[in-house]
Order: sequence, then C-alpha cells, then structure tokens
Amino acid sequence: MELTKNITLGIYLPGETFVHRLDPRTKIIASVILIVLLLFIRSYEAYGIFLIFTAAVIFISGIPPGFALCGLKPMLPVLVLMWIFQLFLYRTPGSDVIFSWWIFSATDTGLHMGNLITLRVLFLFTVTTILTLTTSMVSLTDGLENLLKPLRKIGLPSQELVMTMVIALRFVLILAEELDKIVKAQMARGVAFDRGNFLQKTKKIFPVFLPLFINAFKRAEELIIAMESRSYTGGKGRTKMKTLHLGRVDLAAGLLIFLFSALIVFIIVSIQPQI
Amino acid sequence: MPIEVNGLFHSYKKGTPFEKEVLFDINLTIDDGEFIGIIGPTQSGKTTLAQHFNALFIPRQGRVIVNGANTADKTADLVTLRHNVGYVFQNPDYQLFAPTVGEDIAFGPRNQGLAGEEIEHRVREAMEQVGLDYGTFLGRDIYALSGGQKRRAAIAGVLACHPRILILDDITAGLDPRGRDEILGVIRKLHREQNITIIYISNSMDEVAELAERIVVLDRGRIAFDGTTREIFSHAEQLYAIGLELPEVMVIADRFRELGYSLPPAILSLEEAVDAISTALHEGRVAD
Amino acid sequence: MILNPFIETTDLSFSYRTGSSNAVRALKKVNMQVKLGELLAITGQNGSGKSTLARHFNGLLTAREGKVLVDGLSAADKENTAAIRRLVGMVFQNPDNQLVSSIVEEDIAFGPENLGLPPAEIRERVDWALDTLNISNLRRESPNQLSEGQKQLVAIAGVLAMKPRCIVLDEPTAHLDPRGRREVIENVLCLNRIEGITIVLLTHFMSEVVNCDRMIVMDKGEVKMEGAPCDVFRQGEKILNLGLDFPVAARLSAGLRRKGFPLPDHIIHIEELIDSLCQLK
Repeated sequence: MELTKNITLGIYLPGETFVHRLDPRTKIIASVILIVLLLFIRSYEAYGIFLIFTAAVIFISGIPPGFALCGLKPMLPVLVLMWIFQLFLYRTPGSDVIFSWWIFSATDTGLHMGNLITLRVLFLFTVTTILTLTTSMVSLTDGLENLLKPLRKIGLPSQELVMTMVIALRFVLILAEELDKIVKAQMARGVAFDRGNFLQKTKKIFPVFLPLFINAFKRAEELIIAMESRSYTGGKGRTKMKTLHLGRVDLAAGLLIFLFSALIVFIIVSIQPQI
Repeated sequence: MPIEVNGLFHSYKKGTPFEKEVLFDINLTIDDGEFIGIIGPTQSGKTTLAQHFNALFIPRQGRVIVNGANTADKTADLVTLRHNVGYVFQNPDYQLFAPTVGEDIAFGPRNQGLAGEEIEHRVREAMEQVGLDYGTFLGRDIYALSGGQKRRAAIAGVLACHPRILILDDITAGLDPRGRDEILGVIRKLHREQNITIIYISNSMDEVAELAERIVVLDRGRIAFDGTTREIFSHAEQLYAIGLELPEVMVIADRFRELGYSLPPAILSLEEAVDAISTALHEGRVAD
Repeated sequence: MILNPFIETTDLSFSYRTGSSNAVRALKKVNMQVKLGELLAITGQNGSGKSTLARHFNGLLTAREGKVLVDGLSAADKENTAAIRRLVGMVFQNPDNQLVSSIVEEDIAFGPENLGLPPAEIRERVDWALDTLNISNLRRESPNQLSEGQKQLVAIAGVLAMKPRCIVLDEPTAHLDPRGRREVIENVLCLNRIEGITIVLLTHFMSEVVNCDRMIVMDKGEVKMEGAPCDVFRQGEKILNLGLDFPVAARLSAGLRRKGFPLPDHIIHIEELIDSLCQLK
C-alpha cells in the first residue's frame, strides 16, 4: 500500500538542467501557450508533433519518463469513463454507427472525439506536471505573482490568489499522505480494501472521507497559523529574496516555443479537418 | 503466534526519482509472549518493518511468516491476520473514525462478523482493560476526549478484536507524564496478565528500558543490534553513533562510575539505580 | 541578568466556542510574565491551557478578557499585531505543517520577505540563520528529504531570520528521535545564552524543564506553580497532583534520601546529583 507513490502534481524535482534554470515566468507563459494550443488541436498529426516536443522537454529536464507518466495512473478510471461517454454520446449528423449495444450506439465521430478529448487531458496534465516538477513552489509563486501584477490595478488580489493556488497544490500530496494513513488504519482493523467488487470497494471508501477531511483541515489550519505568525498578511508589502531576471536561456526557450507554436498553428489552419 | 522474517527488503517509492531503500536484509524471529522494543532514528524503517507484521506491507523480496502463514501468499486470510496482529498507530486521529467511543471500539469486532451481545461484551471488556469506565465513556464523543483518553480508546478498539500480538507505534509521543504513565500501566498489565506479545516502537529510551525484555535496533534499514535490553544498552557508544541515547538513569550511573565506584552494568530502572548506588556508597570507592 | 518583563498578562481569560453550550474555558485570570532574556519553561498536562496562553504572546489569539502587553504594546490593539509578530516568533510541534516552501533557504526567507526587507538583507539574514543553527549544508535541500529533527531546525531558522526578541516553542521535540531532540534543545539553549533571545519553551519533558531559568506549571487554565525549577520541584506531591513528574536526578536523590543518605532536596540536575554524591564522604 503506497498511495503517495503516484503523485507527481505539486512535487518539485531539484535539478540544474536547462529547463530548471529558466525564469519561472518563461515556463509559465510557455505552459499557457501549450495549453491554449491543445484546446485547438484536433488532428492526430498535431498530437504526434506535440508528443515529440513534450518527450524532448521531459528528456532535457532529466525527469525519468516513467515517473512523469506514473502521475497519470490515478486518473485512468476518469479518462476511461470520459472516453466511453464521448464514444456513445457524441455524434454529428451523418456520422456512421460502428457498433451498438442495448440502447447505446457508438459512432465514428464519437470515437474520434473520445480520442481527442482523452489525448487533450493527458497532455494538459503532462504539461502542468513538467512545470511543477521543474519549478520550486516559491519560484512558481514569484513568477505567477509577477505576471498577474497588472491585474491588481483592476482590484484582483493576485498575490493572495497565487498563494492559495500554491498551497492547494501542496495539499495534493498532503491529502494523499493522509489518505494513505487512514486507509492503513482501517485495513489494520479489518476493512478489506483489497477485496470485493467495485460497488463493495466504493462503499468501503466512504468512511475514509470524514477523518480525511478533518485531518486535512486541521493541517491546513496549522499551516495558516504558522504562516500568520511569520507575519504573512497577504501579498501587500512583501519583498523577495530572489529577484527574477530573464537571461539568454529564456530567449532561447522563447524562440523554440515560438517555432513550435507556429508549426502547430500551421497544422491547425491548413491540414486539420474542420469539425 | 510467532512472527518470522527472512531476508526482507523494502523500497519506498520504487521506480521514482525518490526511491529509497527502507529495509535491507532483515532477519528476525519474534516468539509468543515476548515484549520487544524497536528503536532507531527517524526514517530507520521501524514503522515500515512493523507494518510488514500485519500485512499492511506485503514483501516483494523476502518473506514474512505469521503463525505459519506467508503474508505474500495469495490465499492468506489477511483480515483474520490483521485481527490477530493488532496495530495501534502513533496518531489516534487516524485510527478513530466512529463518532462515539463505543461505536469505534465495536468497529473491529463487527468486521470480524460478530453481532449483538458478543460485541457488547467485547466492547465492555476492552474498555475495562484500558481503564475507560464503561458507563462514562461508552457514548462519549471521540472529539471530546483528552490526548491520553484518545490513545486508550484506540488501544481498546484494537483489543476488542482479541489480538495475540499488539504493535504499538510510538503511542506516547506528545503525552504528558501522567497520560504516559497510565498508558504504560495498561500495556504492562496486558503483557503480564494475558501474555499478549507486545512490539513496542518508541523514541523514548527510558520507556523501552523500563518495559522491553528484548530490543531490536534499526539503523538506516538494517538491524544494528538484536538482544536483551541489558545487552543493547551496554553498547553505549554504538547507540550514540547511530543517533540514539542511553536512558537517563544509565547516564547518571555512568557518571557515578566515573567517580570510582563500582556499579553493575546496564542499570535499567530507577529502583535498580537507587539500590546499586546505595550499595556502592556503603562499600565505598574501589581502590585503583 | 534577567531584566524587565517583556511579555506580561493581567487577568487574562479565554474561552473557546464562547456563546455555545459547550464553551471551554481555557484560561482563567492568568497573571504571568516573560522576562527579557530569560529561558522560561511552561509545562502542564495536555489541555491545561499552555498553547492557548502562548498563542496570546504573538497575537494569534486576541485577549477579550484581561490584558496582554508585549514590550509595552497592548496586544488587544489590532494596530500592534504586526509589530508584536516581529518581536515574538512561534515554532510549532509538527514541522511539516509550518514549512511553506519546497527548498530550505526559500522557506527561511518567507518570514523576512513578509517583513518587506530589501533582497540583500533577506539573503544576509537567511545565511545568518542557517549559520547560527549549523545547517548551512541543508540550504538547497527539499524539506521532504530531511529528518524530523532537521525539519524542526529549519522551522526555527525561519523564525530566527525574522530577528525576533523572543521565540516561543510549542512542544518542539514531541515527535523527534533522541538525536533530533538533543539538537533542537542544544540550539535553543545557544539562542538564549549566546544570541540573548528570550525563549519560552512549552514542554512535557522534565529533562528539558531543568535547563530553564524559570518554570510555570499550568493546570485547568490557571498558573498553579511558578519559580526556579529547583524550587518548584522541591514542593513534592503537588507536582504529581498536577499530572507531572520529577526529573530523573530528583527522583534518584529522593530514593537515596529514603535509604538514609543526606542529600539536599533541591537536586534536579545530573551534575548536581553527582556533585552531592561526591561530597557525601
């Protein structure tokens, strides 16, 4: 039993690679560009090129590929469910039925849509995982705060939002740790999590949530008290030990992202089928 | 119900960049009725090892055999095994999940398939064993308990399953002296009167010296020492090197010895220290 | 020399869940002082009100009944909260719940950053805090990879870097192994003796209390005993009735006294016991 093993979101993997050395703002903007591109990609060719690109980034940043992928494991059931939904429910006039079962029938466009959406979620997750694995919490906060600064003018509490987001990310791991302990404590008292069918297993999971949330809230509260007692009062008046600056590596990375986006946009505009 | 561990290895987060070897070639036999202390610095593998005893971890390399059954065996009845090998966790908040004391203690027996009067009997008996008054505490809200009471309720919840082996994982951490003494009294009684095997994990050398008959010392996932309590605490220097310490009475005894008095080695309790020092004072210094 | 009161409470009372039927009165008219430069231990059973009291020292809880003065500033005044938090730092029991960043030095910088200091000074303070606690070698590590004792030292460094006059530690060693416990306590003693920082140590370990200049025993929200540890532990039964214990050296010397050896009744330290034993004959 080791639930925390497959958590990659919110974990930082220290290193000194090209990707690690980039200014956090560069990495955040690059990630946003990649995510926006993903929303428009509808062809397998573009996904192929995207795959090559992300694989290259993973290789350069020294993240073991197996580790990058294992974070996807806990999401698999959801992805499969999503794929099935699309397969059976999505259809356009004129789409062909591939096969039918009881009152459901799957169409070719449904299949295509299912594939596209599943790929999109997979890549979205991979892009954010690469970002968090190569960027420490504090530089991520610094970068985001810096980028969102203009929004303060229209009254958006950007620094507080960023801090909230960063702490939420930290809690992904904390929740997994808590869940691990509680499941173990229940197993030790005779709950067989490893037995029974899907329904029985789901029923067994419910009693776990109450202590999970009570403990997680307790920890969150302690963290907030600790932050408060270290004079944290939101972003106002905060300074930074490390000031951000863009260097030559950022220029190079920017150029690469630009070329890559241009290629993807070209595919989207000229090759991609319009659905 | 003996436990036998052969060539056990364990890695944490295997296959990730954070992979760490936690247990390395562990060989160990625990016999019926033993009171065995497991000590070692944080991250030396104490909890991981103990969680192999009740099949919360299943070995990938090496074997753990509890009462003749291999825990890695696909046909092993792990639920029964976990009732026989009770585990009390460090933080009772993880372990107590029913709203009231009575319901929480009944949780284990209910999972064992018991019902009605038998459950009531088990709950009453377990509460008596840990010194929680049945009338007062049965309907008491879990969150209204003090730290010491919570730990006693957690122990009762495990005892209600009638375990033959009880694993206690650093259960006195954060307790005040009175709460700690009460818990230690309960454990001593269980061992003495019911001959339950006790596996006691602790960061307190004083407690281990006072309670355990045998000690296993872990150091970075390996067994550094395994022997009687007296033997273990005679390895003062090695214990310091690992990051452990001697019980406070032994530190005093050592200083007294340096004055030129002769004391028996490895004094474990306060009473022993008082007797030994007074005898030594009567006899006077050993001429060198 | 111990000088003026740095923190002073006057008739301080506090209840949790006020107004509801299950209100808990955690503090009852507490009058106490923390003196500038001293090492003060606060002890008492679980639920005796130690933590509640300590949380008034840096404005985490605000006095509704009674008064708290920190360096002459009234803690009831919200205007003073920021100033009081600069003066008094807090370290908690579980280091995992107080570290903010995934890199040690960035975590230590968190407090000074909140104070709005210039980057160069933050860097200087972080280096100084790491150096003072002898953990400079950990600066680039991720707290996840450290032992519990090291994590607690990082938490202390994070508070130290804010250069407070006083540090309050709430059972900092409760979950540490023997080495971690020793390292934390040794460092806390150094901060007091060498850096002159006022320390308030909340603890259940009598072996830690004996190292302090003064101790306060709390029970059911009230201060029940107060004074130098050697005087407090001399009061016999009372200590046990409050759910506490005697230091091992005191218990041992009491045992020897019962055997007829004329040992003084103020012994709490191992050294004192050994010295007295030397003088017996």
